[in-house]
Amino acid sequence: MTLLDFLNFYLVPGIVLGAIYAVGAIGITLVFGILRFAHFAHGDMTTLGAFVALALVGTGMNPWAALPLAMIITAAIAIGVDRTFYDYLAKRPKIVTVMASLGVALMLRSVVQVVWGVDPTTYASGIVRPNDYFGILLRPRELYTLGAVALIVVGLELFLRRSKWGKAMRAMSDNPDLARLSGVDNRKVTMLTWAIVGALCAAAGFMLGINTEVHSMMGWHLLLPMFAAAILGGVGRVQGAVLGGLVVGVAEELSVFILPAQYKAATAFALLLLILLVRPRGLLNGKVL
Amino acid sequence: MNKKTIAAFAGSLLGAALLAAPAHAQNVRIGLLGGISGPIAAMAPSMLDASRLAIAQVNEQGGILKGGKLEIVVGDSACNPQNATDAATKAVNIDRVIATVGPHCSGAVLAAANSVTVPAGVLLVTPSGTSPEITKLNDKDLVFRTVSSDDYQGRALARTLKARGTTKVAVAYLNNDYGKGLAEAFRAEFEAGGGVIAGYSGHEDGKASYRSDLAQLARGGADTLVLFDYGDGTGLTILRQALENGFFKTYIGADGMKSEAVIKSIGAQNLTTFFSSAPVGEASAALDLFRKAFSAAGGNPDAIFTTTSYDAAFLVALAIEKAGGDKAKLSQALREVASAPGEPVLPGEWAKAKKLIAEGKDIDYKGAAGDHEFDQAGDVPGAYAFFKVSGDTYEAISEMK
Repeated sequence: MTLLDFLNFYLVPGIVLGAIYAVGAIGITLVFGILRFAHFAHGDMTTLGAFVALALVGTGMNPWAALPLAMIITAAIAIGVDRTFYDYLAKRPKIVTVMASLGVALMLRSVVQVVWGVDPTTYASGIVRPNDYFGILLRPRELYTLGAVALIVVGLELFLRRSKWGKAMRAMSDNPDLARLSGVDNRKVTMLTWAIVGALCAAAGFMLGINTEVHSMMGWHLLLPMFAAAILGGVGRVQGAVLGGLVVGVAEELSVFILPAQYKAATAFALLLLILLVRPRGLLNGKVL
Repeated sequence: MNKKTIAAFAGSLLGAALLAAPAHAQNVRIGLLGGISGPIAAMAPSMLDASRLAIAQVNEQGGILKGGKLEIVVGDSACNPQNATDAATKAVNIDRVIATVGPHCSGAVLAAANSVTVPAGVLLVTPSGTSPEITKLNDKDLVFRTVSSDDYQGRALARTLKARGTTKVAVAYLNNDYGKGLAEAFRAEFEAGGGVIAGYSGHEDGKASYRSDLAQLARGGADTLVLFDYGDGTGLTILRQALENGFFKTYIGADGMKSEAVIKSIGAQNLTTFFSSAPVGEASAALDLFRKAFSAAGGNPDAIFTTTSYDAAFLVALAIEKAGGDKAKLSQALREVASAPGEPVLPGEWAKAKKLIAEGKDIDYKGAAGDHEFDQAGDVPGAYAFFKVSGDTYEAISEMK
């Protein structure tokens, strides 16, 4: 096997996949860090975002132009879900919210199945052969995916570090009571968090959909690698989620060298177990679970 | 009226209703379990419609037993063992069905049979569970299928490829009862015929990228990929990624890959080197009758597994009629109505069959998908054809021997 084969068929797919996991994992890490619960509906919210984009593409929009709009719509849906289900349970033990999120996951999936059906579909029919960049084979959609992920990560990082609301979110993540005493409106921060999480879900779902197919179980299958990525990087850390996503994506693709291919899906699980055993704070020192 | 009298009155009414019930309880319920969601979701509606057609014909032509109706309870087995067990449990324990048509997928059939229907003594006839594992089930003669085992299909596919001059292939299979069963049968026959398997690996459902799996398989140097998977699921992802990267030149699928979803999302112009095998009904008067009736009912008789789905439901109805609604006699009755000798009954001829059974005559159902002469394990031999993509659908190019 040549170096180029290794890059083209193992590393590049791993990085593209990892970038998608990363966007999903950022959402999980934000919910975990700021709202302090494991959001099991994340995968199915991702599916919903992908289908919202599909509906927009159905009206004749270019898929990449539909993405920002789908992110806004899914953000609104995420706020709605929080208001309808999670807000109501805020005073109860967190485990109740966790279980409720599992129920929300099933509901979201059923809505998708009722509205759009269960057949796999695509944003654009046909196949795209890759372009050759000095031996590296890349499709335009993969370049756009990587570009969009970079944009999202840098934008979010800037927002969290520089803006007033970003700082408020970080404050609430560190200590909600102290943040409230300092004048941070917890309710608004919660809403803002859900808006960002919803938008990230739509982005992850769309990018997975455009690189493979759009179907009603796509997000659910993503849940394990996304959680593994968030925990691997360190819960509550955006850079950690990105790093974790890339590690999980690349590890899955490279696992076929040492393991039979049917154990590929177990790679994320194995990584998750390993990091919990060896370094429970994650690579970048997140919260302890 | 005080409360006690009302209660007594209500009680006696209820009692009367219960006593009176058997005289009217001629209706018989059967379960229709299918992969409505999950990886064969695009195939399931046609299959269910074909089964419903059989039931509708029964009810139009005199109903079942003494003027009763055959009722169906639809359950979603989702093509996976957990959902199949849930759906079968609900059908058997809550809806009290005495037989089920389906589940559709092999893993679902094995789970539902092992944990629900066989212990409950409920007859199960699957129209599409093709794994060789189903043959080996310890089923107290309660599990039958109107589709033949993949042992036949895998071997027939191996012989067909040899006949087409392919001597070296890579095999990718979905790691479940369906994919694995096919792959093993294919490999045994292909290697026995002197072919070379240059790559052989299973994969899990639901991953986003299979390019590294494909790259590993392609390293063996084969230019043909044999893909045992579902065209509504991972099979589509794998086929797309293989085509986009040019890992192989020719792609061969089995019945699970013969899905319209593949053509719709990849495009016929990109599928000129994609072929698939699938069971077909042998040309017969029975098949013509079914095609006519199903077309008239708005169905597409060319959709995969519609013939077997129709036959499964019709056979179950015949068996119930023959057994007089007695659950314990169903499997024996099924063998009697399906096997020679006897007066031939064709699809849709319910009134005739009902009359013959009433007269105590032996009947032999000649189904749309074949004669259905069940062997010891409840299996039937099958006929297969080799398909290519043509326009928006599949076109048979040759019989498979």
